[in-house]
Amino acid sequence: MQPFTILTAAAVPLPIAKIDTGMILPGRYMRRHRRPGHDYSEAFLHDVRFDENEQPRPECALNDAAYGTPQILLTDADFGCGSSREGAAYAVMDYGFRALIGPSFAEIFYGNCLQNGILLVTLDEAVIHQLWAAVRARPGSEITIDLPNQLVIDPAGARHSFDINPLRKERLILGQDDISVTESHGAEIVAFEAKRRMAFPWLPITSQA
Amino acid sequence: MHMEGIDTMLSARTLFEKVWGEHIIVTSPQGEDLLYVDFNYLNEGGSFLAFDQLRLEGRTSRRPEQHLAITDHYLPTINRAAGVEGIPNPEIRNVVAMMAGNAADFGLPHLNMHHAKQGIAHVVGPELGISQPGMLITCNDSHTATHGAMGACAIPVGASNQLRHVVATQTVWMKRPRTMRITIDGALGTGVTAKDVILSIIRQTGIGGGAGYAFEYAGSTIRGMSMEGRLTICNMSIEAGARIGMIAPDDITFAHLAQCERAPKGEHWDRALAYWRTLPTDPGAVFDRELHLDAATVAPMVTWGTSPEDCSPIDGVVPDPSSFDDHERSRHVGRALEYMQLIPATPLSEIRIDRVFIGSCTNSRIEDLRAAAGVLRGRKVAVPGMVSAGSSEVKRQAEAEGLHRIFLESGLEWRDSGCAMCNGSNGEIVGPGQRCASTTNRNFEGRQGRNAMTHIMSPAMVAAAAIMGRLTDVRHLTSP
Ligand code: SF4
Repeated sequence: MQPFTILTAAAVPLPIAKIDTGMILPGRYMRRHRRPGHDYSEAFLHDVRFDENEQPRPECALNDAAYGTPQILLTDADFGCGSSREGAAYAVMDYGFRALIGPSFAEIFYGNCLQNGILLVTLDEAVIHQLWAAVRARPGSEITIDLPNQLVIDPAGARHSFDINPLRKERLILGQDDISVTESHGAEIVAFEAKRRMAFPWLPITSQA
Repeated sequence: MHMEGIDTMLSARTLFEKVWGEHIIVTSPQGEDLLYVDFNYLNEGGSFLAFDQLRLEGRTSRRPEQHLAITDHYLPTINRAAGVEGIPNPEIRNVVAMMAGNAADFGLPHLNMHHAKQGIAHVVGPELGISQPGMLITCNDSHTATHGAMGACAIPVGASNQLRHVVATQTVWMKRPRTMRITIDGALGTGVTAKDVILSIIRQTGIGGGAGYAFEYAGSTIRGMSMEGRLTICNMSIEAGARIGMIAPDDITFAHLAQCERAPKGEHWDRALAYWRTLPTDPGAVFDRELHLDAATVAPMVTWGTSPEDCSPIDGVVPDPSSFDDHERSRHVGRALEYMQLIPATPLSEIRIDRVFIGSCTNSRIEDLRAAAGVLRGRKVAVPGMVSAGSSEVKRQAEAEGLHRIFLESGLEWRDSGCAMCNGSNGEIVGPGQRCASTTNRNFEGRQGRNAMTHIMSPAMVAAAAIMGRLTDVRHLTSP
């Protein structure tokens, strides 16, 4: 997993409340392989970005080239609500976002994103509205997220501090996902496994299934 | 109390504590345990995301021989001979094909659609004797607690991140739940089954009542229950909010395992048995919560709403939303009745149905099929429906006993095994606006198909409903 320390990047506003995981990753994409070159970037918020005739919706800022290649999405309340659909976090990641800033996020979605190295920052609604206005006024302007110092620095240079669980912060900074944390206990796992096999030699294996 | 007594109390442990404790590798500073996974079952639903991510990361399977992939959710229950290519819906075909490809790529043994042991994971595992007392088992499915009926600690894992972690490391991080013992004592009345017991429990706890707990089901009713009945009970733990549900292994468990293909043999059997006998909860062990149920008060149950706790004895009536004190509950019931197109005070036994389904990991074992066939013998059904055995093995046994002929002669369809109409992943759904009497475990809005209405009950009760074309008290069904 890619470490997250300080990110300075273009941000794009998505001022729609209650974007659920079914909008982030529409059902028809849900049963598709994710492979390099065939990832979920096309699926990401597809029906928000395109109309029934597959034409880009002009009102959607994600379709506005002026925003450049944004890596920060400025969301509205309850982003990621709905089913636990884990592919939604992959869609966010595959589209190229490294961080989401919004007034609130659904809990399961929040966890799934952090697990994949995407930082979710919660700020006051008033601040979010300022951020929307700032990037709309000058599309392409950049926002800095300083994770070590827990700060968001807006295009005007104003600083907004945010909260994050210390463990999650540490793992993001080190780029450690749950598997790498587990792998740091590799020796203990090997020893445990050997002892268990000795003590309970009858435990089932399926090599001959 | 002198010191010895206190020591005994402190060292007295529950079944759950013994099994969980035996699997802790390390505990994180945040209090999460890293647990060793003795065995993991996995199905095609969503698991491809885990494999895609592992592939992107260049990771492999650490202990492939401690996994069993089982295709169960997406398999059609007809036309199996035509193979994967014979699956008409391209999306469903793709999911089935992905499972086979992923199992092959990661070296995981796989019961595919043609395998003689194919079935629903939660039926197949205990049937083969892979799920054994004292094991820690995971599966990317919410009904994994089913295997707890064998005296195992069986825990559901997420289909993507957590499954990926289990495949890569053979471990899982979990916060230890609290413990709740549910004690059921006494004899069940005629026509009353394990399904009615667990529905009565869920009615008592509510769907959130078990959240954060590991259940142990105990008491004379459970001890007197067959393996099939115990599996039905543990299966629905999640419907009360508990991710884990266990039953102490005893002579009934051991007798079942003694004839299982994958259970230990010879000297291993003797050693295993000696260990298994140490697992039951010690006298004096303390649970965080205790719940009691008197078996004599349990009647055949049916659901009338859109949550498993929305259930009543069959001789009851559709409740009035305003009769619930809790505002949230009252609102839920109002909405549920609207979805279910039911009017308060209607006797439950007057609710007409359009079709029936007998199957699912809750009630598709041989005893369930015998119970349904016992009611259907010599009778004709008033509505269509299908019977899907929980595994190919159960199907063969039912055919050897002639049960399939009873189903077919009554007018029901006799299908291959899989999840089928339980959640319709395979495309076999209840039509919109249709009402189905079902032996399954979930009756959420749209669970069996969009705008389909589900009534959950036992296999014998579904059989009775099929004959009468309406919800029916099986105890009042007169001889044919
Ligand atoms: S039978 Fe139903 S509840 Fe059981 S695993 Fe299949 S879909 Fe889930």
